[in-house]
Amino acid sequence: MKDYSGVVIAAPISFGYAKQSPRGANWFIGNTLREMLRSAGLTKDDVDGLAISSFSLGADSAITLTQHFQMSPRWIAQLPYGGAAGLIALRRAARAIQAGDAEVIACVGGDGAAHRSFEGIAANFSNFTIDASFPYGAGGPNTAFSLITQHYMERFGATREDFARIALDQRYNANHYPAALLNHKPLSLEQYLSARRIAGPLHMFDCVMPCAGGEGFLMLSEERARHLSIPCCRILSAGELHNAHREDDVQLRGGWTEYADALYDAAGIGPKDIDILQTYDDYPVISMLQMEDLGFCAKGEGPAFVRDTDMRFDSSGPQERKLPHNTSGGQLSVGQAGSAAGYLGIVESIRQLTGQAGPNQVSGAHRAMVSGFGMINYDRGLCSAAAILGSAET
Amino acid sequence: MSKWQTMRKRLKLNRPSRRRYARPPRQRTPVGMDFTAANLAVPLALQCCTDCGAVQYPPREVCANCLCGSLKWRPASGNGRVLASVTLHHSLWEFFKRRIGAAPWPVATIRLDCEVTVFAHVAAQTFDNTARRDIAAGTAVTVFSHSDCSRNAVLIAVAANTPIGTRAQRSAIAEQLGLTQPAEFTGGI
Ligand SMILES: [Zn+2]
Repeated sequence: MKDYSGVVIAAPISFGYAKQSPRGANWFIGNTLREMLRSAGLTKDDVDGLAISSFSLGADSAITLTQHFQMSPRWIAQLPYGGAAGLIALRRAARAIQAGDAEVIACVGGDGAAHRSFEGIAANFSNFTIDASFPYGAGGPNTAFSLITQHYMERFGATREDFARIALDQRYNANHYPAALLNHKPLSLEQYLSARRIAGPLHMFDCVMPCAGGEGFLMLSEERARHLSIPCCRILSAGELHNAHREDDVQLRGGWTEYADALYDAAGIGPKDIDILQTYDDYPVISMLQMEDLGFCAKGEGPAFVRDTDMRFDSSGPQERKLPHNTSGGQLSVGQAGSAAGYLGIVESIRQLTGQAGPNQVSGAHRAMVSGFGMINYDRGLCSAAAILGSAET
Repeated sequence: MSKWQTMRKRLKLNRPSRRRYARPPRQRTPVGMDFTAANLAVPLALQCCTDCGAVQYPPREVCANCLCGSLKWRPASGNGRVLASVTLHHSLWEFFKRRIGAAPWPVATIRLDCEVTVFAHVAAQTFDNTARRDIAAGTAVTVFSHSDCSRNAVLIAVAANTPIGTRAQRSAIAEQLGLTQPAEFTGGI
């Protein structure tokens, strides 16, 4: 696999998180793009590539947005891959820049949150959803994930207290990340355990809050970034694999198992050298699967791993092993802004690796593993993607 | 504002929670409608490939094994085992919200002996340990189809050896689950 040299990522922007909003996806995407350009000192016409992810564009698409925003890109992509969208955008855009098809690519995920819009997205998510999963209780993604969580708990003896480790440390991180929707709310173990039941073993604080917002970053050639003298970071390695392990009766692993070793080899490091881990945390069990499949612990040892690992951004927890995880609070505490959630881990990692994070800055972080997971078509998530990002010094 | 105008405004706002009758989701894709049609006459019919013989579910346009486009609906055995089972305490759909208001709604994923995975409503009353709502993984079950009150076929799982040989027996189970009647809100419009 060819490396990602000559390409950098910059201009991390998280924009406009709100529990509900009358604004459409175009508003969130447009404003995110504006902030990205402003932070890089670029104009619209400097952008010659556009990658867009959104669930709520309605009749619009990446191409109609070019007229909406009056841009003329020579490279375009619409990447409707949910929790893996950001990483897939990053991989596609990096190759386009290396090939010379574009020089500056804006990658943006954004969604609105109109009143009751989530129901519509959940009910019409895919053909399998319409015919064979939504009619069974209409729980939306909670149904499939409660079944996956239930199975994982039965198989490996995970408890709610184990999942609480992930949720609580993330909430601590969110308490130090001003843009998080739950920034002002601390979460205790008692609150977590006594929360309202949602589906099977899932309770209130295991489920993300759908919201509106945008996340975006710029990808450009190293030379161009140097010219602009903007803080940026590099891609040490990246991979993806979709609908992997389709013979498994119930999902307990994702495609990461098939390329995690290759990622570390290409980056010349191991899991122990990762300073920050950003997993796709639509539910705590999914973060646990990623920790296992990405080699931080063996399959089934996720519960023991999170018990013994301090996942706070400032390493202030009592556990000896330190691994800052979802340093802005992840979707569980920031909110799940539709497709933007698939960009959140990358955007937060760029901030961290370039020292722009603010109150939740991890000190001395040089390598971040970002992982994505997405698209519950029927009984499991289909997409998997991951990348190791490095600070400019790496 | 007259009562009539108030009612018209409510209808315009189209709030499902104000409707008198709520029904399960009616929408299906064309192959989903074929599933309903094929299941009218038998306890369970699944798509079979005319080329390689593979049985598949959810319904598709082509065979997932060999991509052959010629598929036939054939009667299938509903025997299988539970992969995972949960009760829902929250739903996005008004019909289920109302049903959950009375009792949590049990659903399960089931691996049928013909090697397909199905979602199904669970007829908890047919299991011995009705006290325990979440039925253990590996439990033997039988799955059959029945029309719900939005006139779509849906799958229902019962404990293995529950008598479901006659249409009356199957209907009684579906009715007991509350699937065959709309969920009524007496103050609704
Ligand atoms: Zn076939």
